[in-house]
Amino acid sequence: MNLIKFRVLFLYWSALACVIFFGVRGYKSYMTLNHEYEQLAQSANLRSLILELDPKIYSHEMKMQLQELKKSVTTPQRAENLSDLIQAYSNHDTHLTEVRKVIVLYGEKSFYQRALVDIKFWQRQFIFDLLCACLGPIVGFTLLVLLLKSSLFAPLRQLTNRMMDFLVDRYSFQFSQPANNEIGALQRTFSSLAQRVINNMDELKSLDQAKSEFLSIASHELRTPMTSIKGSLSLLASGVAGPIDPSAKKLIEIAETETDRLIRLINDLLDLAKIEARRLPLNLKWEGWREIASKTAEGLSAFAYNAKVQLIFEATVDYELYIDPDRIQQVLTNLISNAVKFSPEGGKIFIKPIETPSQALEIQIQDEGPGIAPEDQELIFQKFRQAANAENPIVKGTGLGLAIAKALVEEHKGTIGVYSKRGRGAMFYFTLPEWKKNSILPIKTNHVTTAPKARVA
Amino acid sequence: MKILLAEDDPSIVYITQTCLEKIGKHQVTVTIDGEKALAQALLENYDLLILDGMMPKKTGLQVATEYRKLAMVKTPIIFLSARNEEKEIEKYYELGGGFIAKPFDPMQICKQIDEIFLRLMKAA
Repeated sequence: MNLIKFRVLFLYWSALACVIFFGVRGYKSYMTLNHEYEQLAQSANLRSLILELDPKIYSHEMKMQLQELKKSVTTPQRAENLSDLIQAYSNHDTHLTEVRKVIVLYGEKSFYQRALVDIKFWQRQFIFDLLCACLGPIVGFTLLVLLLKSSLFAPLRQLTNRMMDFLVDRYSFQFSQPANNEIGALQRTFSSLAQRVINNMDELKSLDQAKSEFLSIASHELRTPMTSIKGSLSLLASGVAGPIDPSAKKLIEIAETETDRLIRLINDLLDLAKIEARRLPLNLKWEGWREIASKTAEGLSAFAYNAKVQLIFEATVDYELYIDPDRIQQVLTNLISNAVKFSPEGGKIFIKPIETPSQALEIQIQDEGPGIAPEDQELIFQKFRQAANAENPIVKGTGLGLAIAKALVEEHKGTIGVYSKRGRGAMFYFTLPEWKKNSILPIKTNHVTTAPKARVA
Repeated sequence: MKILLAEDDPSIVYITQTCLEKIGKHQVTVTIDGEKALAQALLENYDLLILDGMMPKKTGLQVATEYRKLAMVKTPIIFLSARNEEKEIEKYYELGGGFIAKPFDPMQICKQIDEIFLRLMKAA
């Protein structure tokens, strides 16, 4: 294994060994050098003492000094010579002392010169060791940086680039030659990880594909027989196929009504499935509130008129909303038609946009119906759940309207909910996060929609 | 009007044909798959083609695309589809066709067809 760790450790230990070796040797050289200097000083001392030595004058003090020096000199030859000199001096033999003096001085001279040569050598070695002890770590560190740069930082940068590529869906994650070290292992791990992610994505895609195929086939298979049933009933009822007995006509009417309800249910279910499968792309654009409101009012005016309910659109200012107009219109229609169903005859429904402190624009739909019990308020947004004790017996919805409205509002990143007290009507609201005031068209008065001709201006 | 109706479901064929003939007083020819529909459409001149979106052998979209390439006349086309998918409907409009979603009300279909026919004729 060509591991980076080993190389780094090798460099570290060699630098450390270099520092220790040359440090210790340098210290030794330094000590020797000191010793040599001392000896040199001694030698000079000795020479001056010997030169001062006058054999004609015997001095006990001089002799003691010489003996002191003899003790301190290390070379046995010098100690012996000095011993001879002291002996001769003690004997008061002038001639012998002179001879010994010359011998010792000669010996000291050569020792002095040798010591000088030694000093030069030790000085050089000391400087060399000092340099090596300093250069070791510097060289080691430089090599380490180079090593890291070539084997760590460059491959890491490459890996990062590949990861960034992967993030933006360019699957060029293959590495030409993953190195046989930690980085190589990282690259290989990333490659297999990316491969797995891609496999999973493919699987998800095929699942998604299967889901949409199912949706598509389900809508076809469900709607085709509905077409025939509705068509047959409608033809029967119209009398195109022949005259119908009045008692049978009532039955046909029931069948027609229920078929229509079944078709609505199928449409709602498929719509909801589409929204939940995220197969319903939002066609987002800026649209005026007034535009949406008037289209919705137009669609509902006949329904509201038949139920003898008044729709009142209130707005003091017009707003521009960033929405899919068709979808928001569907939400509004679902909420308002719900309100109409639960309103008493002659009831009023108020629809108005309100600016909330949380930046979102809130659309409120207030009715004068029986209201919704607190325990039902969460429930009603679920599929096929209607308030259990709805007092209005004519309510026959698919049970999906609010679920669809909720899904659509959530697709717009808004929230939906209801405030209600039993017997005091209900106020449904939903929020839209992106909106702005339309400065061009301020509306001063409230506008009331009366059926059958819807009017929002 | 002389209408070619291409639809594989026999019940829908019966109902649609009855409506078109009895209410609209149109003359209707029926084919039950895409290939026959294309051949029939090229063989005779029709005032209007009504194509089902999903048929055996060729889908309504394929029939219309090939028909537009091969035919000399620009006969209006109305698609019937139960799938109700926006992408598909967009393609129908791109081909210059009209669209009626299933399930449709047979009592209204003649009116719808007349409206779409007029619109398509105007556009052409």
